[in-house]
Amino acid sequence: MKRALPVLVLSAAALVPLWRYEPSTGAASSGAGAAAPAGTPTAAASPGAASTVVAGSTVPTEKGDVQVQVTFEGGRITAVTMLRAPDHPQTADAVPKLVAETLRAQSAAIDTVSGATITSDGYKESLQAALDARGT
Amino acid sequence: MGFPVSLRVDDPDVPADAADAVFAWLRQVDRRFSPFREDSEVSRYGRGELPGGALSADLAEVLALGEEFRRATGGAFDVRLPGRGLDPCAVVKGWSVQRAAELLTGAGLRRFCLNAGGDVAVSGGPWRVGVRHPGHADRLCAVLEVSHGGVATSARYERGDHILDGRTGRPATGLDSLTVVAPTLTEADAVATAAFALGEEGVAWAAAREGCEVFAVLPGGRVLRTPGLPVAA
Repeated sequence: MKRALPVLVLSAAALVPLWRYEPSTGAASSGAGAAAPAGTPTAAASPGAASTVVAGSTVPTEKGDVQVQVTFEGGRITAVTMLRAPDHPQTADAVPKLVAETLRAQSAAIDTVSGATITSDGYKESLQAALDARGT
Repeated sequence: MGFPVSLRVDDPDVPADAADAVFAWLRQVDRRFSPFREDSEVSRYGRGELPGGALSADLAEVLALGEEFRRATGGAFDVRLPGRGLDPCAVVKGWSVQRAAELLTGAGLRRFCLNAGGDVAVSGGPWRVGVRHPGHADRLCAVLEVSHGGVATSARYERGDHILDGRTGRPATGLDSLTVVAPTLTEADAVATAAFALGEEGVAWAAAREGCEVFAVLPGGRVLRTPGLPVAA
C-alpha cells in the first residue's frame, strides 16, 4: 500500500519528457504484451480500445535516473509503471501519506516509556523509574 | 553503555534464569561492542587489530546492518564518521535488545515488556507504550498500544545534539524527536536514528519503510505521523 503512492508522485515529473515523446508506430510499442492484438480479448483491455505500452526514455534527474512505462488506451493514460527509480532515500520507496497534528503534552496510564537513550542519572527522575517502582 | 534496563514479565511461570540470561547478554554486548572500551571487539576491529577472518558472526551482522542503513540514507547514517573511530552504537543498541527479547521468547516467555534505556521490545501485549514529550521529561506526547515488536525514539533532549548527519558531519537538528514502531526493535531503533540523522526528510523516509509506523515532532511543535500509527484509545 505504501509503495503505490510515490510512483504517481514521481511520475508527474517524469512524465514531462514523455509527453514530448511521440511514439512512432510499431517501434514505440515495445516488448511482449505491448499492444493487445485486435480480436484477442485480454482482461486489461477495455472493449474497443487497444492498449499500447510505451517505455519512456531514461531521464537523468538530480536524484538519479528515472524511467517510466505508460499504458495508453486510445488517447488516455491508464497506467504508469516505474521502470527505474533513483536509489535515494527520499524516493527509493515512496512518499507516504502523513498526518499532521499539533504537539500535545499528556499524562496517561502506561506500561513503559519510549524515549531517547537516558543515562543512569536521568533515569532516577524518569517516568520509567516511577513505573518500575510501582512494580516492585 | 550505562543505561537502565527494565524488564517486566507477566507470564505465570518464569524460568529462574530467564532474566539473568538477558542481563548477562547485555553485559557481554557492552564488553564486546562498546567503542568506549579500548579492548572491545569493536575498538580492536576499528583500529585494524583483528586479523582477517577473525570477525565474529555478531560483529559481521552489526557491520552489515550499519552498511545497509548507510546506503539507505545516502550516508546520513554512518557508523564510521570522519575523524572518529568505528562507532556502531546506533545499530548495536536495538539489535542487542531485540536479541535479548528473543532470549526471553526462547525461554518460553510469552508476555513481557523489556525497556533498555528508552528502547522498548514487547511481546504478548497489548502494552501501552508512552512516548516521552521532547520538551518535558515528566510528560508524554503520545501513547501507543503495541502487542508485539519494537518501539524506539531518537531525540535531542537527553544528550544534546549527539546524532550527527554523516553527510555534513554536523549535528542533526531538523527534528526534535522521532519515534518508530516496527516488527523488531532492530529495525525500529536503526530507522529512528537514521531518520533523525536525515532530518525532516527522514520522516517520509522512515514512513516508507515496510512495517514501520512513525511519530515525529518537528521544531515548533508540529507533529507528523503515519496514519497506521497504533495510537492507544
